[in-house]
Amino acid sequence: MTALVVWISVIVVLVGFYILTYRKSGKESVQASCDISKEDQLKYQALLSSIGEGIVVTDRYGLIELINHKAEEMVGWKNEEVVGRRWCDVALLVDEKGDQIPREKRATQKVLSTGQAVFNDTYFYVRRDGTKFPVGTTAAPIVENGKTIGVIAVFRDITHEKEVDRAKSEFVSLASHQLRTPLSAVKWFSELLIDGDAGQLTTNQSEFVGNIHKSNERLIEMVNSLLNITRIESGRIIVDPKPTNLADLVNQVLEDLQEKIREKKLTMVVSVHGQLPQVALDARMINHVYLILLSNSIKYSPEGSQITVIISKNDKEVVSQVSDAGCGIPQSDQSRIFEKFFRATNAVRTVTEGTGLGLYLAKVIVESSGGKIWFTSKENGGTTFWFTLPLTGMAPKAGEVTLNS
Amino acid sequence: MTDNKLKVLVVEDEQLLLEAIVKKLELSGIVALPFSSGKQAVRYLHEHPLDLPNVIWLDYYLKDMDGLEFMGAIKGDEQLNKVPVVVVSNSASSERVSRMLALGAKQYLLKAEYRLDEIIDIIKGQLASGTL
Repeated sequence: MTALVVWISVIVVLVGFYILTYRKSGKESVQASCDISKEDQLKYQALLSSIGEGIVVTDRYGLIELINHKAEEMVGWKNEEVVGRRWCDVALLVDEKGDQIPREKRATQKVLSTGQAVFNDTYFYVRRDGTKFPVGTTAAPIVENGKTIGVIAVFRDITHEKEVDRAKSEFVSLASHQLRTPLSAVKWFSELLIDGDAGQLTTNQSEFVGNIHKSNERLIEMVNSLLNITRIESGRIIVDPKPTNLADLVNQVLEDLQEKIREKKLTMVVSVHGQLPQVALDARMINHVYLILLSNSIKYSPEGSQITVIISKNDKEVVSQVSDAGCGIPQSDQSRIFEKFFRATNAVRTVTEGTGLGLYLAKVIVESSGGKIWFTSKENGGTTFWFTLPLTGMAPKAGEVTLNS
Repeated sequence: MTDNKLKVLVVEDEQLLLEAIVKKLELSGIVALPFSSGKQAVRYLHEHPLDLPNVIWLDYYLKDMDGLEFMGAIKGDEQLNKVPVVVVSNSASSERVSRMLALGAKQYLLKAEYRLDEIIDIIKGQLASGTL
């Protein structure tokens, strides 16, 4: 989708240039018409009609000045039929259910009221014949002397992009489910061997089977993470916020990690704001964020060190902090740390287990909950992660799937 | 029951998984009744009203039916209805889990998340709190 935004932005700039010159030459003054040659005019007109995206230009009141050939084709109206009418009335915008999107929420209107460019790819245009198609629109203001004098909206039919997105999600989810059967078989049979259910193993044998089991657990974890990412990215995840006590939630996560904490003789310090209210959160999702941050801290901390969790709040949000004295993230890796499958160079060296998916997932969850996540870190000097959640809670969302299912 | 051993009917259509489950159950002193077909398992249950298992270990996705159909097929029988069902599946959408629990399944577990002996402990827990 990023490429689409860039491409559309380029078109907006090109067309904006054309519009300004067209208006000058055609409308405003005889003097100005000398600014642009007939040849240039023809060139820009050819550019406009040859562009594969629909283009609509409105004046400062949202009335159509022109639509290009592709736009005519896409919505089923001729330029001469729509000039002077409102774009909002010509091309109705609806959501998935077919409910009409009010004018003030539409890209062209938003541009007129804010003067800022807007990108939108969540709705559908209704064609003249009543059929609809998913549309990606970039609308930008036409600015002259600091004033918005109109809007250019460039749009395209994104049926194919949506289809590819859906197919990609379905593939990952199907592949992951199919992978789980052989993974379970490897898991259970290696456990039978480790437990001595097929007879006593030699030291070497149990070491080797142990390695098989451990590697398989990593694969299981990776499949689970991939599935979770697909669930969130596909937008099919159910967000079910309920009043949640964050202190209880963190303690539950620590309880689940107890064995690893004990193994490394770590000291856990948890401090929670005295007047922290309950916040409407999807506990399963936020639990996952703490689990990812705390597991990382435990994994990369030296034995006997301390991990601190602080949950505080300000006027608008709950701020959670997880600090460790671990190996830290090298400066050169910091900009990539939230990327999918990326693991810091020192992390790969010191701890082989890891999928590179945890922090990406944490970021996706926090941001889809209306919060932010960031960190400070120094190589060999520990890491602190913070994330915020709005005190007003997460917005509920209907869907089909939940995390870890 | 013909002897005092606990009996678990296992429905799992992946032959290798079925083998592992049966092996572990037997090593835990439990009699396993393995089925790789849902229909055959249902038939067995209806044909042996006096020799019902103590627990049913059910995979959700079977080649010949799914968990919902399986529950539907045993629902009509009063005695059969009392046998606790533990679903052990590859995937667990919340809708599916709640439908299975509503139909009377006692627990819904994700296969790859559990060690075999953990599932067997859960099964034993069902036996302890169960109908015996």
